Amino acid sequence: MAAAAAAEPSGPPARPGQIGPGIGWRPEISGLIADLPELRFCEVIAESLAPAVPPRGVAELRERGLPVIPHGVRLSLGGAEPVEPQRVTHLAACAAALDAPLVSEHVAFVRAGGHDAGHLLPVPRTREALDVLSANVRRLQAELDVPLALEPIAALFDWPDDEYSEPEFLTELMERTDTLLLLDVANVYANARNRGTDPVTVLDALPLERVAYVHVAGGADHDGLYHDTHTDAVPPGVLRLLEELRDRHPPPAVMLERDGRYPPGAELRAELGAVARSAGFEWSAS
Amino acid sequence: MSRLWLEPESPPPTPAERTGLAARQAELVAALVAGGPLPGGFDPGRLAATRRALLRKRAGQAAQVWPLLAASVGQAWPDSFAAHAGGRPPAGALRDGWDVARALRAAGVLGAGGAEELAGREVGWYYDGVRPPRRRRLPAVRRAGAALFVQVAGRTLRWAGRRA
Repeated sequence: MAAAAAAEPSGPPARPGQIGPGIGWRPEISGLIADLPELRFCEVIAESLAPAVPPRGVAELRERGLPVIPHGVRLSLGGAEPVEPQRVTHLAACAAALDAPLVSEHVAFVRAGGHDAGHLLPVPRTREALDVLSANVRRLQAELDVPLALEPIAALFDWPDDEYSEPEFLTELMERTDTLLLLDVANVYANARNRGTDPVTVLDALPLERVAYVHVAGGADHDGLYHDTHTDAVPPGVLRLLEELRDRHPPPAVMLERDGRYPPGAELRAELGAVARSAGFEWSAS
Repeated sequence: MSRLWLEPESPPPTPAERTGLAARQAELVAALVAGGPLPGGFDPGRLAATRRALLRKRAGQAAQVWPLLAASVGQAWPDSFAAHAGGRPPAGALRDGWDVARALRAAGVLGAGGAEELAGREVGWYYDGVRPPRRRRLPAVRRAGAALFVQVAGRTLRWAGRRA
């Protein structure tokens, strides 16, 4: 595989093989996650992890042989300021400690001018932002021994400066940097709804051959807009979009992200089952 | 820009700084979390919706760290949080909640649960509202309603007292 990559440096890095369903590991649902035999992988927020002493629940999943993917949320790869070296080092240390098959971060920025937004914000889809992103992604890749997957975010607004459509921008970024795609179908759904566009058309324009794994999350309507909250149930429209993806390009892995207002265990298991089946995976329980 | 002229010692700007992406991003974040003016060209309604969404998210995170405070405010917690935290940059859930609790106390509308939670924190930690909280090295006493909190050598005791 390494030889093939060396002979063909312009192609996307090797994607993981068929993995299956997973979930974002959070301390609040650690017990529930430990009791899910159908799970094939987990993702953990890198900034919440001390690589030398991972949480007990995460360590136990690793002992069971479950892959755990560190997911960065605060590197600010789309920030005009160069990515902070200690954040890069931390993410690389997480990957090493977990023996992770890959790591992921976002096509976004989170801080600028001394203020932290506390959330992922969209970058303008311009050549200038592509240069900034590519440079930061390469700084991160230089410290990583495993592939990097980039996740496009859900945003409630666009920049007036935009020169590219979102699929064009992402395709260009991923070709330039040889990165994989962490496709969040809930983000595609949210952006399409809030822009008044068709999510399936967007899906078809994305570089689906680069999908490493897929995120699914719930959301809710506020202010006449759809918000990707991660604290509400997954709406039927998101599951339908996941089925559209499965019919086009079956994803290697899919996972649910839930970040608060956790429902009873049975409800969360049922939602995981629905997500797994919509992505084309077996799920026997519940 | 005049930046180079004002700061001859600074390193040469990167292309993004030269053409203003850094400045545009700073302007946008300031408008979203620090009460800054609306940057040109953006949809004001969408930025306002984003600002409210960021405050709702912060309110939820603060509620996880300050459960009694949030419960004592009840359904109005997100609005109450936004009323105090709006225009103030995020300081993390602990400090965000702390600042709101103090603002409610100053306004005389802090409920019993929130008052106890605040007293329990303040007896063990020193927080000036600007820098991160630090553990107190000296003993301290705080009262919240009928409850009395005493902290000695990092251990906090709570006397329930008699309710009036």
